[in-house]
Amino acid sequence: MGSTTDIHKGAVIRHQNNLYVVTSCQFVNPGKGSAFTKTKLKSISSDKGMEITYKSGESVDTVQVERQNMQFLYKNGGFYSFMNQDNYETADVNEDIIGEDGKYLKEGLQIIALMNDGSVVAIELPKKVQYTIKTAPPAVKGDTAGGNVTKVAIMDNDLEVNVPIFIKEGEEILVNTETGEYGGRVGTN
Amino acid sequence: MSHLTHIAENKENLILRFKIIQWIREWFNANGFLEVETPIILRLPGQEPYLSPLKLNVHNESDKGFVGYLHTSPEYTLKKMLAAGFGDIYSLCKTFRDYESFGGTHNPEFTMIEWYRTGVDMFAIMNDVERLFAFIVEKFISVIPSEAEGSPSLSQLPGDFSTSLRSGRNDIAGGFERIHMRDLWKKFVGVNLDEYLTKEKMFGLCVSRGYKPEQSEEYEDLFSRIFIDEVEPYLGKEKPLIVHHYPMSMAALSRQSQADSGYAERFEVYIDGLELANAYCEITDADVIEERLKTEKIKRAELGRDVFEVDREFVEAVRCMPESAGISLGIDRLVQLFTGCKNIDDVLVLPMSELMNQ
Repeated sequence: MGSTTDIHKGAVIRHQNNLYVVTSCQFVNPGKGSAFTKTKLKSISSDKGMEITYKSGESVDTVQVERQNMQFLYKNGGFYSFMNQDNYETADVNEDIIGEDGKYLKEGLQIIALMNDGSVVAIELPKKVQYTIKTAPPAVKGDTAGGNVTKVAIMDNDLEVNVPIFIKEGEEILVNTETGEYGGRVGTN
Repeated sequence: MSHLTHIAENKENLILRFKIIQWIREWFNANGFLEVETPIILRLPGQEPYLSPLKLNVHNESDKGFVGYLHTSPEYTLKKMLAAGFGDIYSLCKTFRDYESFGGTHNPEFTMIEWYRTGVDMFAIMNDVERLFAFIVEKFISVIPSEAEGSPSLSQLPGDFSTSLRSGRNDIAGGFERIHMRDLWKKFVGVNLDEYLTKEKMFGLCVSRGYKPEQSEEYEDLFSRIFIDEVEPYLGKEKPLIVHHYPMSMAALSRQSQADSGYAERFEVYIDGLELANAYCEITDADVIEERLKTEKIKRAELGRDVFEVDREFVEAVRCMPESAGISLGIDRLVQLFTGCKNIDDVLVLPMSELMNQ
């Protein structure tokens, strides 16, 4: 048994006999009154999500998981294949476990796999991932006057991201995998 | 090098941060306020039971010293200054709260502006908030178009509020909505809050809505369970929102409403689901303050937090303080709104999470 201090993104929690991965957690301290931790959870056995808000100090049934570095290889049918970076074995992970994170995967991407009883129960993506813009509509003069400061661009792995209108095809950008938002150009700072 | 990378990556956000701070000072200085400084190290910090001041040892050259704390807000000192005859004042300063998350909407070291007006009630402070906000929006819009015009400097894409402003919807800041807490609960929870002003009633309401509170929970915790899940995320989405009149159990240092005795004259400001500011019409009854601080001190002990004496000089200051109202507003969160940064780290030069990783 743990407490709210053990909650973090990627932690595994047992709730009503099911295992859930914490996909996001937010600390809220209204200042006057106790603090709370708002969590978004995803079931390990299905893609079902739920939200639980814990009062600080409440007991939480956390489950120990191992963290393993893996590299994404390819998607085959309903499975994503990863290579274990320690023993070079391949692990096939059902798409239900990967869920929405699947759209951020691209060949060679390093991720952290959370392992329970030898199988992958969840993956953690890097906070920011670099992509090359495959296609992006050109900026049209007058866009900003009309209120359009962004446009939809397609990345090298087919991920769609809202980017500033000045971004061009072939450029490399960072994308925040927690929000799906544009996170800056690469190498222009 | 990660600190340097952090600064470089967030340079545009940081530039906007410092501009916003400049605009805030400009507005206050033009509106008859005096900027003051207060000490950050205190022996007797705020008693709020749920805040943890950072403790430190201070020594003189002969190795004699005392245990001090970094202030959690400049409130006590500013009120002592009001008691000593200072009029409309503000302090824009760093404040510190231990045991808060490193990132998200909290950082243990953060920036706050706290201001007071004498001889007014909380509605005058609401007017300040609205006018200050309109001023910042006007300044923001005047600098944004040139940056957005195909320039590579716009490194961060905006969030909802920021998007609206950048796409010309400056009406979003044109008018604030003001709503009584009772009406807010009617709207989102579908109940009459007047009937749930006691701990027992609120406990029952929590249970009936599927929460599993413990018997020992205070009124404000029970209130927060429902508020955080069912109300707060939706606040200030269409336009900035001022929620006023909090149940008396959540009065903190605010005055009881004469017209509405179950409620205290306290308000908070919400934009895009984010709490930005907390304001009181101040209690000037020293006996009431002393009672509340003593109760808070006992609560601190129960919660296993550092316990320190009630600041007697603060109590005496309240005795001599003129009628006044004041507010504290989180600068980092304000900057998050304008930059569209979901994580407070992205608007800080050195977030605590970076220090943790060093």
